[in-house]
Parts: sequence; C-alpha cells; structure tokens
Amino acid sequence: MTLSTIALIFLSLCVGAGVWLVFLWAVRRGEFDDPEGPKFRMLDDDDDDENPSRKR
Amino acid sequence: MADASSFSTPPQTAGEAVREQICIHCALPIPPADLVVETVDGVERQFCCQGCRGAWLIITGAGLDRFYRQRHWQEPGLPEGAFETPYDDGYLARFVETDGHTGELSFIVEGLRCASCVWLNEKILSGLDGVESARVNYATHRARVRFDLERLGPADLFAAVSSLGYLPRPFTRDAAHQARERERRSLLMRLGAALFLSMQLMGYSLALYAGYFQGMEAGAKKLLQLFSALVATPVVFYSGWPFLQGAWRSLRHRSPGMDLLVATGILAAWGASLHAMWAGGEVYFDTAAMIVTLLLTGRLFENGARRRAASGVDRLLQLAPDTARRLDDSGAAITVESAVLQPGERILVTPGERFPVDGRLLEGTTEVDCSAATGEPLPQARQPGDPVLAGTMNLLAAVTLTVERPAADSFVARVARLVEEAQARRAPIQQLADRVSAWFVPLVAAMAAATWLFWQLSASQEVSPLLAAVAVLVIACPCALGLATPTAILVASGAAAGRGILFRGGDIIEAVAAVEVVAFDKTGTLTEGRPQLVAIEPAEGTADELLARVACAETGSNHPLALGVQAEVRRRGLSLAPAMTGVRTLPGLGLTADSPEGLQLIGSRQLLVGHGIIPPLHEDTAATEIHIALAGRYLGRLLFRDTIRPGAGELVTALHRLGIRTVLLSGDSQAAAEQLAARIGIDEARGGLLPEGKCARLQAERDAGRRVMMVGDGINDAPALALADVGCALAGGTDIALTTSDLVLTVPRLDRLQEALQLARSTMSIVRQNLFWAFVYNLAALPLAAAGGLAPIHAAAAMALSSVCVVANSLRLGRKKS
Repeated sequence: MTLSTIALIFLSLCVGAGVWLVFLWAVRRGEFDDPEGPKFRMLDDDDDDENPSRKR
Repeated sequence: MADASSFSTPPQTAGEAVREQICIHCALPIPPADLVVETVDGVERQFCCQGCRGAWLIITGAGLDRFYRQRHWQEPGLPEGAFETPYDDGYLARFVETDGHTGELSFIVEGLRCASCVWLNEKILSGLDGVESARVNYATHRARVRFDLERLGPADLFAAVSSLGYLPRPFTRDAAHQARERERRSLLMRLGAALFLSMQLMGYSLALYAGYFQGMEAGAKKLLQLFSALVATPVVFYSGWPFLQGAWRSLRHRSPGMDLLVATGILAAWGASLHAMWAGGEVYFDTAAMIVTLLLTGRLFENGARRRAASGVDRLLQLAPDTARRLDDSGAAITVESAVLQPGERILVTPGERFPVDGRLLEGTTEVDCSAATGEPLPQARQPGDPVLAGTMNLLAAVTLTVERPAADSFVARVARLVEEAQARRAPIQQLADRVSAWFVPLVAAMAAATWLFWQLSASQEVSPLLAAVAVLVIACPCALGLATPTAILVASGAAAGRGILFRGGDIIEAVAAVEVVAFDKTGTLTEGRPQLVAIEPAEGTADELLARVACAETGSNHPLALGVQAEVRRRGLSLAPAMTGVRTLPGLGLTADSPEGLQLIGSRQLLVGHGIIPPLHEDTAATEIHIALAGRYLGRLLFRDTIRPGAGELVTALHRLGIRTVLLSGDSQAAAEQLAARIGIDEARGGLLPEGKCARLQAERDAGRRVMMVGDGINDAPALALADVGCALAGGTDIALTTSDLVLTVPRLDRLQEALQLARSTMSIVRQNLFWAFVYNLAALPLAAAGGLAPIHAAAAMALSSVCVVANSLRLGRKKS
C-alpha cells in the first residue's frame, strides 16, 4: 500500500474525529435542548425598524 | 385587569388604539372607569390599568416597541395575576444554584404566546444590570438566567418579568429531573460518537471484506485492522458503556438479562477480533459497533417519549394556584402562598380563578366548572355551605370560602399522590428478550466451558481449548437477538405514529398485546362530552319558534347547553331576533329574561316550579331537560343528551372478537353508566366511582392476574391510567391524562384503539419470529465452533445473515396496512 493511501485514511479519520468533537461541543452547549424555539427566532431580524414597508 | 370575555382585534398602531378604546399593552377593551392615559411626545396612549401602562413604559423605554408590531396573539389579555410578584428573595433563594458569586435561576414564564414574547423577555432580562445571560426556552416556557448575586437578587428577575405582564413561577429542578436531563445528554453524546466512529469503521471493513475475497497484502490488512480496532474500541467501551454497566449490574444481582447478552456479544466479538489481529485472522469489529449503534438509537427514541411522560405530576399540581387571597378579620385581602393556608381561614376567589384548596362556600353563589375533577361537563351550582374542590374553576361570581384542608392535602394533591403511588407500584414489564436471555446466557456459558474442558482432556493437540471456547461464545451469542425487539418496536412505533397512535416505549407495545380487560371512562371517552339537543317538545307553537326563543336569550353564553342550542340553530339555519336584554343567570337553575310579552323563564323544572309553573311530568329522565315558560304560560321543553362517540359500539364488538372483556367505570350515576353499557354492549358497568374507586376496581382485576387497559380522559382518571398495565388517553383529554398514559391516540377516534391492539399483537408475533431467526443461523454454526473447525467466513455469514433477516422481518411491520 502506498504512503498516500495511508495518509488519506488517516486524514479521513481526522475529519471524522473533528466532526465528532464539534457534535460533542454542541450537545454540551445545549444546542439540542430546545427543538421548538430556533425556527421562530429567525423571524426576529433586528434591522427591520428602518424598513417601514415590512411593518405589519 | 379587564375582563377577558369579549375580544376585539388587537390594535395595529397606536392611533387606532385611541379610537377603539383598546389597551395598547394587553389589547383588551378598556372599561371606562379604569382608563389610564399617558401622554408621550404629544400622543395620547390609553391603558386599562397602571400595570399595563408600566409595562408599556418599560418596553418602549428600552427601545423594544417593535414587540407590539410583531407579536401574534390569538386572543388578547394577560395571565391572571399579572403584575403581582408574590415572591421575595428569601423564598426564591432556595431555587438559585450558585457557584461563588454567580447564581443561576430557572423559572417558568407563564403567558408566553409567540416568539416575540420570548424575544422580549430575553431582551429585558439581559438588559438588567448584573445579568450575564438569559435564555428563554419556547418549547418548555422555561427561562434560565445567570446573574451576579452581589448586584442582583432573584426577586429582581421576577419583578422584571412580571412588570411586563408575564407571570414568573419558581421551578424546582429536583434531583430526579436533573438526572433525566443528564441521561438524555449523555445518551445523545454516546450515540453521536457511535455513529461517527461506525461510519469510519464501515469504510475499513469494506476494504477488509474485499481483501478477504480478492486477496490483500498482509501489511495493508494489518494496517486496516489496526485502524478498525482504533475506532471500534471507543464505540464498545464509551458508547456501549450503558450495556456493560447493565450487564455488570445483572451479574451482581444474579438475574441475567438482555444487557448481559448484548455485553457478552460485543465483548466476545471485540476480544476475539483483537486476538485475531495479532494472530493474523479475520476481525469482526464492525459487528460489535453496529449492534451498539442500533441499540442506542432505539434507546434515544424511547427516552424522548418517556421524558414527556415524566412532567405529568408537576402539571397536575399546577392546577391549584400557588397563591391565594386570604381575608383577615377586618375583611382585607392579603395575597399569601396557598401552602400556608390553615383550615378555618377565609379566602376570596374571583371568577375565572381556580380554587387553591378544598373548602366550603361561606358567602356568594356561583357556578363551578368541575370538569377537571369529576369529568362532569356541565357547570355545577354552589351555594353557601356547599363544598368546593381545589383545581376546579369558579365561573360566575366572587365568593368567600372557609379552608377545610391545607393545600398539601387538597384534592389535586391527593390525586397527584395517587398517580405517583400507582406509577411506583406498577411492576416493570419483563421484556420477552429478557426472559429468553435469562436461560440462554447460562446455557452458552456452560457450552463454552464444556468445549474448553473437552479439548483440554482430549489427546488432540490440533485445537487450542481456549480458542475453541471463545469461538463458541462469539458464535453462540446472537447479536441479532439484541436487535430482535428494538427494530420491530422502532418500525411499529413509526407506523403507528403515522396513524395517530403513540406508544410510549417498547414495553408498552408488549403490554398492549397482552391486554385481557379494557376499562372505559364514560364522559368524554365513550361519549363526546358535549350535550346535543336531541328533541324539542313544544307545548304550543312550532319547534323552530321555541328554539329561536331560547337561542335569543342564550346568545353569547358559553354554557355547554347553550352551545348545544346554538349548534342546532345553525343546523336548522334559523335566523334570530336580536339578543334579549335583561338576561339574568341563576346558578344551577337557568336564566330569566325580560321580553315584550313578559318575563321569560328558561331552565330546570325547579326554576319553573319556583315561579309557580308546574311542567308536565315525562318518563324519559335519562336526558337533561330545559323547560321554557313565558309570562306564566308553559311553552315546552328541550331535551339534551351527551352523544356517544362514533365507533364506540363497533370498538366494543371488535374487542369482544379479540377475546377482551370490557368494563365501564364512570363518575356518573350507576343508572347512567348501565344505560350506556347496555346501548353499546359493554360487559360490566360501574357508576358513582371516585378516582380511588376506579383504582380499586382495576387493582382487583390485576390481583386476579389479568392485564388491564384503562381508557380515559379526565383528571379523575389519571390515577387509574397510571395504575393500569396500559393507560390510554384520547387527544383532547386533559393534559394530565395525556401525560400519565402509556398509549395516546392523537386522533380522537375510537377505531384507532382497535388498530393499536392489532398492531401490538402483530408486532409481538414479529418479535417472536425475529428471535427464531436470530438463533437459527448461529445454532447451525455452533457445532463447527465446538469442533474447533470454525472458518471465519462461517462466523461472518452467520452474524450478517441473522441480523439482515431480523431487520428485514421487522420492516414488514411498516408496510402492513392495518
């Protein structure tokens, strides 16, 4: 087996581990605790005060 | 606060609000006497009370006035008791978690109705001096605030929230709740780890499988095996830790269960692979990792369903308000915690409030909505001297009552205790797979020991005794056995959820399949809980005239009988004269109204007799009667009956066909229960039962060794739902019924119950088939292993084939059209 194949396997392992660490960090920060709120949060953009056409 | 009975569109802009006389903050019409005016920048703003004015000033002062443009309120008004803060620092201190000088306080915010409410509370809380962070969870209505204890007290946070017109309430993060939260997080992390690492592992395994058939350079094989071991080890020992722990526990208690079998399987596969790696054989790391990942997925789903169930008792206790208005000797009302009320003290309860404790009416006449306590849909009249129960709602007038029992001993507290006891008493259902492994694990261990002993004693030197014994362990522990139940349950739950049937956990499916007796509640379960007009019997004139006459007087009423009248008017397409004036409601009797022809009476026989009119007697007494009289003349009567839910009769017939006995347990009279039972063919009817009585009846069945399912919807059913082997609630029932039940029908249709039973039964037969497939391949390979002649390809084939068979068999459940 060539050295590059070994390097690629090792690289994929690093990428996988990285994604895993990001996931663990997100769980610890409580990102998965509130499945309801965030979908409404995006509707609150803070800059529409200057844009009267978007007022309801 | 203004009365919340009428509703107008919330104001779009401040200018319109002035014209419509609607409070800018709470969007309710302003009673002229309560008008508060605030002039800012030359514009006049009108409020219904000082509290709303204060809230508006705070919100606009903080530059957050876009809240008023963005909120989506289905109806106006604020929660009862807004703007009051009955809690002080001393009381709240015990809810604060501290580390050094920062504190963290979790509390419930009542009155959150839209995302803008969440946004507003977060902005105001984080704007306070000394607050580090504030998050409001829209799903749970829970706020979590970190703050500096030296600059701020917990009561300041509560004051800030209540000054906006929301209602903060302390929230006890008890140990049990925290443990659940931790468990869910750790489960999520373990599953995440298992998923990511297994994905890596599958890549290496694929290369190894290809190498097995096509040939592979020894060095490359070694390297891939090494990588496999590297990613598989954390999966076995970190992600699989719950199984290893469970196995150790069952070993110590000498009760071999599913966990022990799974642990033996994954440890044997992992250990044998590790040995094979040094010895140059084939590895099965992927088997161990896959089992762990699939089992954890099943656990996470089950955990989520159970978590929702756990909040039931908390919600029941919330029915009785935390605070009460106690009257002192001079007649002044002081707000106190309900918990400090003593028997003999007097309290004031205004209309729209729930009674905080059990008591006896002292002054005032009112109607009480007892549906929460008894399931009775019609309001009940209460006069001085009558008892009232905590958690029921005062509908008509402010009343004074004498406290009879402390809050800790009130009706809701007693029901909550019954629920807790019943949940604790219910024996855990032993899963089928647990029972299988109870004899299978010792058998495999004995077989491995026998293999080792045989080769040790035999003269042959070709077979290593230890290796042969390990091979027996690996091949005999059917990993697919671990999958047999969870996969079937996962697929069945998914299929059921699509039909509006929610099983709260896999053991529930097993319990539903084993049910022998089904007990029903009456009102709201087998019947609609809404009285319908079934007959109009005019003494003079036509039926339409009589109906229109009643409808005019009852316009705008929310009384269930009035709603029945209005429904019939709509059905007949009658046009109505304008609503009558001078309508007076007489609690428990009916109403009187002034009409041009004279005094009109609409109500019970008692009301008419009281005015000197004797309605003729009728035989049909099972229905509710409303009599009408005008200026001393008897006009006729209307008959109401609570209609039976569609499909009730068919359901009972279908249950009998499945060999299930049916029982009716009702809080209503014995006669009413028997009549309904006779109409839809239920085997046995019991009436006049309190929550304790329903529990006693179910316990009697359980003591006789029969599996019981309880179907109900009211708070009075909650203890019975928790006690039964399976509690089943229909959507539209009370929250507490939904959360104490194991089986929820999200579509309030009774035919779904029959489907649930059939699905549970077919799931259990699939599980039994799965157990068979899980064994059959591995047992075939077992003699080879014991003989010491096991080729790696045999082991791999047996493991893969049994797993594939089990998963494919389970998937059949999803395609079944029940």
